[in-house]
Amino acid sequence: MLTLIIGALMQGSVYGLVGMGYGLIYKASGLMSLAQGDMLMIGAFLGMTFYKTLHLPFALSLLLVMVIMFTVGWLLERVLVTSLLAKGAQQVYVILCTIAISMVLQNVAMFAWGSNTMQFPPILNFSINLFGTTVEADRLLVLAVGILFMLLLHFFMQKTRFGTAMRAAAQDETAASALGINVPMTKGVAWGLASMLAGVAGVILGPSYGVYTAMGALIGQKAFAGAVTGGYGNMYGAIVGGLFLGFVEAFCAFYISSLYKDFFAFGILIIVMIFMPNGLFKEQVME
Amino acid sequence: MNQNTVLTQQKGAAFWKKNRLSIIAIAVLCVAAAVMLRTRYLAMILDFICIYTIAVTGLDLLFGYTGQVSFGQAGFYAIGAYTSALLSKNLGVPPILSIFIGALLATVFGVIIAFPASKLVKHFLSLLTIAFGLMVYTFVNSCSALTGGPSGITGIPKVSIFGLELGSYQSYFWLVAILMVLVLITKKNIINSRVGRAFIAVRENPHAAAGMGINVAKYKIMAFAISAFAAGLAGALYAHMIRFISPDTFTKDQSNMFMTMLLFGGIATMSGSVIGAAAITVMTELLQQFAAYQTLIYAVLILIVLFLLPNGTVGLFSKLKAAVRKRGQKRKPGKEGTPQ
Repeated sequence: MLTLIIGALMQGSVYGLVGMGYGLIYKASGLMSLAQGDMLMIGAFLGMTFYKTLHLPFALSLLLVMVIMFTVGWLLERVLVTSLLAKGAQQVYVILCTIAISMVLQNVAMFAWGSNTMQFPPILNFSINLFGTTVEADRLLVLAVGILFMLLLHFFMQKTRFGTAMRAAAQDETAASALGINVPMTKGVAWGLASMLAGVAGVILGPSYGVYTAMGALIGQKAFAGAVTGGYGNMYGAIVGGLFLGFVEAFCAFYISSLYKDFFAFGILIIVMIFMPNGLFKEQVME
Repeated sequence: MNQNTVLTQQKGAAFWKKNRLSIIAIAVLCVAAAVMLRTRYLAMILDFICIYTIAVTGLDLLFGYTGQVSFGQAGFYAIGAYTSALLSKNLGVPPILSIFIGALLATVFGVIIAFPASKLVKHFLSLLTIAFGLMVYTFVNSCSALTGGPSGITGIPKVSIFGLELGSYQSYFWLVAILMVLVLITKKNIINSRVGRAFIAVRENPHAAAGMGINVAKYKIMAFAISAFAAGLAGALYAHMIRFISPDTFTKDQSNMFMTMLLFGGIATMSGSVIGAAAITVMTELLQQFAAYQTLIYAVLILIVLFLLPNGTVGLFSKLKAAVRKRGQKRKPGKEGTPQ
């Protein structure tokens, strides 16, 4: 039972991390990226390369992954999305563009690292005895890092100057730029942060999941389901929704059948969209 | 009497002048099809082109004309395929009938999905349809008792019409080609009707459309139903052509392929869906040795269309046509001017 709960919390915090990225992007630019899951996958592969192949210390590997993923996300927004919007493209085309990017990322990963599942060496190589059940420390690490990054992002958005600027730009672009806030910059940073969060999630998920090119697609979509359940565009909603989805999935797999857990996860998404499209945190999604 | 013949001749000439490009194109296509039908492999490609054209045409009515996006067409495609395969194999329903039952069941699901979808804004709509596609995929993959699970269904019966069995790819072509032409004619009629104009109004500005008295939700649901019917029909035709189906065919790559075909051909045009389906099918076959990187090809094509060819191949053609006409006009006055 405890293993089940920890598994659910672990999975849920990963969904939460990736889902916060969706929220950031949506708040900052009103757009949606479907490449988040593949950012997670690229992050996991990069982390594995730094940590396993180059034998760098884990903290340094994580930091490098964060920097690289931030740049990738920032470039994606600055180069592709902005020029697409400058052409007067509709939002659907931006979504299509991110779908294309996600396919490109998967192929790049397949080209660079091959299509086999790879082993991510354990980060904390010991188990903890928790209320009579042994739990691998790596699983708790996922939870801890997840919570840490959620708190960091919260403080960044609420307490720092740039975070405040980002929130202002999200609320009213024109007013924010009139006050001297660099709005395009805040959008780029939001996309960068989103892919950074996904990259972090990939690195910490690596040891318990294995690293393979298709690992991101499903996680990305479930994180989206979580984000919608919580209220799309709301960072805290994404966390709550992600955890909720993690629990649903773990308990479905345990009590019903692990074959159907994806079915239930997406079923929840559809039910939420039908009956309470604004999610738990009441975000506006209807037109 | 005499005048009448002159009039018809004039009418014929006008018709020829107006549609000469399409007529020439159709004639060339018929010759090409006739040549391709002589080989089994090429006939298979032709069949695929027809089947994909049907699905893409439906998607075009939804995305190109009504502005509603769907990344879950593979779900409808799967419903059509599995329904028809199971009905004809296990219950002995004649395939020609089960194909349409499959398409109708897909339509029912299309309507169910369309009810919430008709209210959602674009990104959520994309995700709802993705989620639907994934749900269908997970279902056919895990419900082994009904769908055979990952190993799929083998030995799907051949289609026979009036005792005539369409066993080979060559004979099957006539069925899919006739259905494709019917679907295209239906599309043309829809576009030129009240419904089609309502679709376009909904795409351009749903609020203005609602203000003009158009029931926006109704037309969105209708567009979803039509596209689901087309995808289901295509899926059922696919099942009876290959006579083996497995969940691998119905992944989200398939949905993305339909989208790529549509965008590459050009949205909201008659010829776009045919050109897109044909071009991508042929391209996929030619690049068979890079099958592992198939999705990369789709991705690059999508990006090319997004950044360089906003109206797809059809847009490119009409640009060329306009350029040629412009040059022709420039030359004409010069020629006529000199004799005087």
